[in-house]
Amino acid sequence: MELGNNIRKYRFENGELSQQDLANAVGVTRLTIHSIETGKFNPSTFVALKIARFFKVQFEDLFYLIYEGNDNGKNG
Amino acid sequence: MDRFLKWGGILLGVAAIGFFIFDFLFFQNLRPRMVAFEPVTAVDESKIIWTGVGFLIYLGCCAISLLRIANFLRRAKRVIFIFLVSILAGAIAILFVFSDIALLSDIGKQHSYGLSQPEWFLLYPIMVFQFFVATFFVFLNLFGFNPENLLETVVFDSNIFITAQYVGLLCGFLGLSAAALGYIFPFSWNPNIHTIMTLVLIPLPYCLATAYWIMTKLKDRTQGFFDEKQQLDVGRSAFWTLVLDVIIMSVLFILNFNNLRGVTSINWLPIFLFSSLFLFSLGNLYFGQQNV
Repeated sequence: MELGNNIRKYRFENGELSQQDLANAVGVTRLTIHSIETGKFNPSTFVALKIARFFKVQFEDLFYLIYEGNDNGKNG
Repeated sequence: MDRFLKWGGILLGVAAIGFFIFDFLFFQNLRPRMVAFEPVTAVDESKIIWTGVGFLIYLGCCAISLLRIANFLRRAKRVIFIFLVSILAGAIAILFVFSDIALLSDIGKQHSYGLSQPEWFLLYPIMVFQFFVATFFVFLNLFGFNPENLLETVVFDSNIFITAQYVGLLCGFLGLSAAALGYIFPFSWNPNIHTIMTLVLIPLPYCLATAYWIMTKLKDRTQGFFDEKQQLDVGRSAFWTLVLDVIIMSVLFILNFNNLRGVTSINWLPIFLFSSLFLFSLGNLYFGQQNV
């Protein structure tokens, strides 16, 4: 089971917001945003909620669980 | 401020190049006479003082250029390769100033004792390298800092931290190489003097890079020194450094079990410190960038 996310989609919908701009808004490095977006790093609840609040969406709209061999999330 | 640093770096760089040319001409004249054990004149001694002044100016050029690179990297879109090479070359060039002084001092002593001076053949390539670094820094200060490579705002930067790890990797490698000399050349390596000099000088660039990174963190007032992913990476890196250090030190102990009072009695500390620095920096780079 893995954590999936729609950060790329919401960045696109927010005027192709750059990873650096999102990192500035959340208070982490650009590399951290990149790692979260590509699913290589699972953020803390604190950072995940900050990203959700920044995009003004529900937590579950941004992050979802991917079950083995079955994408069970909301990937837009 | 940046304009002041830019022109300061250029002027000191040009002056340092001038002093290197002066040194090459002076040594070209001095070396045959010293090798032939002819006496050193008062004029030669006064010229040596100007050589020392040239080294101080060269240190100033390197320091200003490195500071400009560090300031630029903080807002750079990524760690630019040419700047990374510049930092490593600058760090080595600064360390070489101390070896220049040590070599010139050795040459003077060898001459006064009537001994041959093979140090000349080490001094020339080092100074040629320093000459090229000074020339490179002049061009870098003139044309190397393109504002198009800068981001408007970076709240939590990682470039300086990454650069400090590259410098740590280099210092760790140089320190381990220097420590190995104690085993390879046990008779020409004075354990007390050379080991202590190595311990003091080689970590200097890493200490400066880390101090600069700490200063930027204190100035930026970000939440903590690391963000959460960096914290995880540093933790993993520290764990592997501990594991590998225990193995390395155990192997060193077993291999030298019959000679623990020899060079190992003092060399274990630099091996431990420099291997920790090398592994920790390598780990931070590996865990920090493997996902990018």
